[in-house]
Amino acid sequence: MANRVRWAFFLVAIAMLCVGSWLALSWAPPDREMGDVQRIMYVHVPQLWMALLGMTLNFACSVIYLFRKSWKTDSLAEASAEVGVVFGAVGIALGSIWGRPTWGVWWAWDPRLTTAAILLVAYCGYLALRRFVDDPERRAIWSAVTAIVAYVDVPLIWYSVQWWRSLHQVQSSPRTVDPQMVLVLRWQSFAFLALMVFYIWTRYQIAMASRRRELAMPEELTTPAPMPTSEVAR
Amino acid sequence: MTVLNFLEALVEGASTAERVGAGRIVGGWEYVWAAYGITWAAIVVYTISLWLRGRSAQEAEDSR
Repeated sequence: MANRVRWAFFLVAIAMLCVGSWLALSWAPPDREMGDVQRIMYVHVPQLWMALLGMTLNFACSVIYLFRKSWKTDSLAEASAEVGVVFGAVGIALGSIWGRPTWGVWWAWDPRLTTAAILLVAYCGYLALRRFVDDPERRAIWSAVTAIVAYVDVPLIWYSVQWWRSLHQVQSSPRTVDPQMVLVLRWQSFAFLALMVFYIWTRYQIAMASRRRELAMPEELTTPAPMPTSEVAR
Repeated sequence: MTVLNFLEALVEGASTAERVGAGRIVGGWEYVWAAYGITWAAIVVYTISLWLRGRSAQEAEDSR
């Protein structure tokens, strides 16, 4: 049953993204300044929102893990970080493509872009750390601490456009944007949210399977894992 | 946004583009197509990656 619900999220997301792509490419009006190039917003912005949401979930799981050790929260932290990095990497690449016709450059060391790049590097480091530490408990603790430190960058990204007015525009408000643009942006955001739920759910299952395998073969670990294995039992 | 706003926006769809005009930046569709192409390619690649990893994790568990 859970598997069907998980795949239902995927199908709903794909259907919504198909409709959303049509709405964004042919139904939404062009921007007064940027013309049709502004249509990149409908895939750039929702993906970066999802990246920030993924990092926030990762941060919450990491904090919870340090207070109450659980393989489930550790696996969820791993899943949300990876999915956040995927959405973040694509979102930044699309921002670069959008920057070329509007700013004339593919990349600028603007505060928003720089803090976003730092976030990507920090979470790639987090994922690398998880791969290189064999002991599951040590890995979980170290990565939880790393995630908490890396998350400091998230509010910096959000407020960077307000604190240091630079090349990147400030957040728009639905009150100042055409209702059609707001509608398409919201539609795409819910589509990517459904896709993210599917991705994190699937990646969480893979991470839990990996924990079960590691705990079933403690001789492969550098030190024995003291946590109860019952928590990851099927 | 209320349902009424949504219906209003839906009806106004075609005419808004005419009112606003084409924008100061003319063209640039190649950038738009590239952005949507990368998005869909990333979705396909990451979904296949998760599916393959999930399948091998399942096989490893079944063989235990």
